Amino acid sequence: MTAEGIRTRELRTVAGREAWFDSEGFFWEPDDWSEAAAQELARDSGIPALDEVQWRVIRFLRDYYGRNGRAPMNRELKAGTDLSLLELERLFPDGIRMGARRLAGLPNPKTCIE
Amino acid sequence: MRKVSFTVNGRPLDVVADERQTMLLDVVRDDLSLTGAKQSCDRKGQCGTCMVLVDGKAVLSCITKVAALQGANVTTIEGLGTPGQPHPIQQAFVLAGAVQCGFCTPGMIVTAAELLEANPSPTRAEIRRALRRNLCRCTGYAKIIDAIQLAGRFLRGEIAPADLVPGPDAPPLGVSHPRPSAMAKACGTALFGADIRMPGALEVAVVRSPHPHARIRGIDATAAEGMPGVTGVMTAKDIRGTNRIKYTVADRPVLCDDTVRTLGDPVAIVAAATRDQAVAAAEAVVVDYEPLPALLSPEAALADGAPRIHPDVPNLCHSQPIVKGDAAGAFATAAAVVEARFRTQCVHQAPLEPEVSLAYLEGEGEDAELVIIGRSINIHLAMASLQAALGWEAIRYEEPFSGGQFGIKVEVITEGIAGAAALHFGRAVRYLPSLAESMLATSKRHPFDMGIRLAADADGHLSALAMDITVDNGAYMSLGVVILNRALHMLTSSYFVPNIDVTSRLVYTNNPWGSAARGAGPPQTHYALECAVDMLAEKMGIDPLEFRRRNSLKPGETKATGHVVREWPFPGLCEAIQPRYEEARRQVEAARAEGVHRGVGLGAAAFGIAMPGDKSIAAIELDPDDGVTVYVAAADPGEGTDSMLSQLVAAVLELPPARVRLHTRSTADTTASGPASGSRVTYMIGGAAVDAARQLRMAMDEEGARTHAAFTASGRPTRYVGRRTTLETAPLDPATGQGPSFEVQVFSVQMAEVEVDTATGEVRLLRLTSAADPGRVIHPLNVEGQLEGGMDMGAGFALREEYVAGKTRDWVTFKFPNIRHAVDLQTIVVETPRELGTLGSVGIGEMAMVSTAPAIVNAIRDACGAMVFELPATPERVRVALAMTDAQLAGAGT
Repeated sequence: MTAEGIRTRELRTVAGREAWFDSEGFFWEPDDWSEAAAQELARDSGIPALDEVQWRVIRFLRDYYGRNGRAPMNRELKAGTDLSLLELERLFPDGIRMGARRLAGLPNPKTCIE
Repeated sequence: MRKVSFTVNGRPLDVVADERQTMLLDVVRDDLSLTGAKQSCDRKGQCGTCMVLVDGKAVLSCITKVAALQGANVTTIEGLGTPGQPHPIQQAFVLAGAVQCGFCTPGMIVTAAELLEANPSPTRAEIRRALRRNLCRCTGYAKIIDAIQLAGRFLRGEIAPADLVPGPDAPPLGVSHPRPSAMAKACGTALFGADIRMPGALEVAVVRSPHPHARIRGIDATAAEGMPGVTGVMTAKDIRGTNRIKYTVADRPVLCDDTVRTLGDPVAIVAAATRDQAVAAAEAVVVDYEPLPALLSPEAALADGAPRIHPDVPNLCHSQPIVKGDAAGAFATAAAVVEARFRTQCVHQAPLEPEVSLAYLEGEGEDAELVIIGRSINIHLAMASLQAALGWEAIRYEEPFSGGQFGIKVEVITEGIAGAAALHFGRAVRYLPSLAESMLATSKRHPFDMGIRLAADADGHLSALAMDITVDNGAYMSLGVVILNRALHMLTSSYFVPNIDVTSRLVYTNNPWGSAARGAGPPQTHYALECAVDMLAEKMGIDPLEFRRRNSLKPGETKATGHVVREWPFPGLCEAIQPRYEEARRQVEAARAEGVHRGVGLGAAAFGIAMPGDKSIAAIELDPDDGVTVYVAAADPGEGTDSMLSQLVAAVLELPPARVRLHTRSTADTTASGPASGSRVTYMIGGAAVDAARQLRMAMDEEGARTHAAFTASGRPTRYVGRRTTLETAPLDPATGQGPSFEVQVFSVQMAEVEVDTATGEVRLLRLTSAADPGRVIHPLNVEGQLEGGMDMGAGFALREEYVAGKTRDWVTFKFPNIRHAVDLQTIVVETPRELGTLGSVGIGEMAMVSTAPAIVNAIRDACGAMVFELPATPERVRVALAMTDAQLAGAGT
């Protein structure tokens, strides 16, 4: 950690668009997300191309956030995608939060902002 | 042991009691499950939250031995009235706005019941005497005294409670509708963390470091594990996650692994059948420490060769300059310059409720959910932090009623301990530390050390400001960067200063770690700036109120960060307080003519709300009974969030506020709306709720539907999600400190009137007046309550309170302001609806104490010439200041 590392946001260009990201690489603003951005973030994390099952998970997450203003609990994610936790983790090697939620553009819960 | 027969609320009891140890509070809470009598002070009889009536006399049940109660009739708050059939005193507390967090309320009402039985028309002085054993952190006691006088009117039949309840046609905004939660708090039925029953749960205790800095060489729990009732002992190696709590930086362990960095750092958890067994076993855990150099000041932490407190980070962990204009040039040509150095102390936020968390596993296998019942005011972030720290993804975080917070509950404290223990032992656990441990375990208000130079031109306009600011961050980051940057954003208070040169440093030390505390940075810097403003006004021979009005920012001018302001109604507040200021000055002159050292002092504030990049989100649903439910994580530890949300939404939907239901306390059904901190709740969270309500309203209007049945028949959805997003997004420039700032401001001018005994240095605070402009007022009594409570807290900060690790252990050693310290609190509320406000409103909670300390210190100086450069302004410091010569005063900043 450095003094610079404490900054809670950074401006990055993803899929040709500038957007603010938090210190863990999550979109600051979910509306800045795009399918192209998800694909680029996926490539950066070692997924060459998102397949249909992965897109189904991402679309479920975005739809859930749009209706509820939060990320789903794991049991809701399982029920909504008809996938087990093991299957979900295989689909997103960085895990449900750092993988699926991050690629779906769901923001982290907000801290106080510096 | 002795068998004792007595009644509680008319119910006969036979209790076989230990003659020395069984206290009435134990029977009331543990045996009868009555939750109205609380426990705050480690059973020292210091707080009055446990008050019950014994044969009509109010007693402290925590120190009342059951053995002495043979034949007694005990009445608890539950015996006075219920939410369905409240006692007139309970109604008076609700209607007078005397209920904020509600933790002290049952004890206050019980004490009032004894008083009013004997004296139905008490004077304010008689009420103050009666309440001498009851503490309150929220109200400044003003509305509590009002409530007891109102109750007297009810009991004398002069007026009925129904006469004061707003009618069905009362408008939603600008009216003090009874707070939705107030009656449950007044009747003792609102459940706080320690009130939740969890039969069979393990009780946990924590082994804490006696050293401010040490390496852990080994932990031997053998003896503890063999003690009666002990289930086990766990250490850092038993935590499966990162074992680090993250707010902005993941640097604070749930349990320390190899190093302790401050006094009281957690080292091990002991679980047992009872709390006493857990505490006894914790004392038997042997930790082998190798003491390391303790860096107990920023100077020590920054000295050459000082060890790093965190291996990967320099002790100077953050710095942020502000460079605006040409400060050096402006100082060189200034007509007048003042210079000084100010220091503020470490302070405990002091919510009356001690720490508490519970945790248990719900469900099994892959679906097992760890439920944590904690005290966070940012439940979704707390959940996320705990998910990583504990290595358990499926967490549900719930918040019970919360007994005050004032910043301390922005951080995860006891939740990590309870959650880790529930996972490790596979059992439900409760962690209820003592008050002394709660103080040791929690964050504090950061101490600031501030050198300041302030200059004005010949016309009395501020021309330059230079400051060097060093903040003692303590051992962990929490939101130290946020605190420092907030102080910088609000550095110039209400004024336009064209040229600024500021350096600031945030330094890790082995002191208690700082975090949010009401105001969160600006109370410290306003003390320096507003005192310097008074010094400069005097030097230039300009009245301090006129000097402040003359230097007010104007729309189109810039704050310290270069941010151009759109609205700045500060001069109106100067106008509003002018008559009372002039009267205060007349009284000062009259007192001085009689040889009394009396003075009046001012302090101003422009408190920013909604940092660039802030966001919030809320959901609303139309219910089958044509009411609505708002789903939003919005903690209400006393400020009146429930009033705000229900009244705003009611205004949009043209519903009575009572038809608006609120779900605010669980991560399972709320939106992740951000923290209930930074005074952002009305503007950001309320703003998101208003947006959601407007979407619902628009959809219903488009369908011409006024009922759920008609609306659902149209096929439109009944649920809408609203958002509030600030217009600006970028943070400050790291090199210049220039950039966009808060979206809106709440303004204040405070005035203190004091008398000083120049022989002893004692300061007698006579009156505090707060003029404030929070935009459109939603709930007038809530606004007054925040102003009064804030002034009381500011007075404690100015004159008494200080937290010294290892020495401050309870409310007496903290010097908690009691009703004998309470002064005449006056409020002036100016309503200037803000263009961007939430229906014109912006918020008020923190601003209420930001300028109290400088107002008091300036009044002391006006009274006797003594300038106090370090808080708190104790009698000793006033005497030292009185002894300073003019030459010494002039050199105070060097």
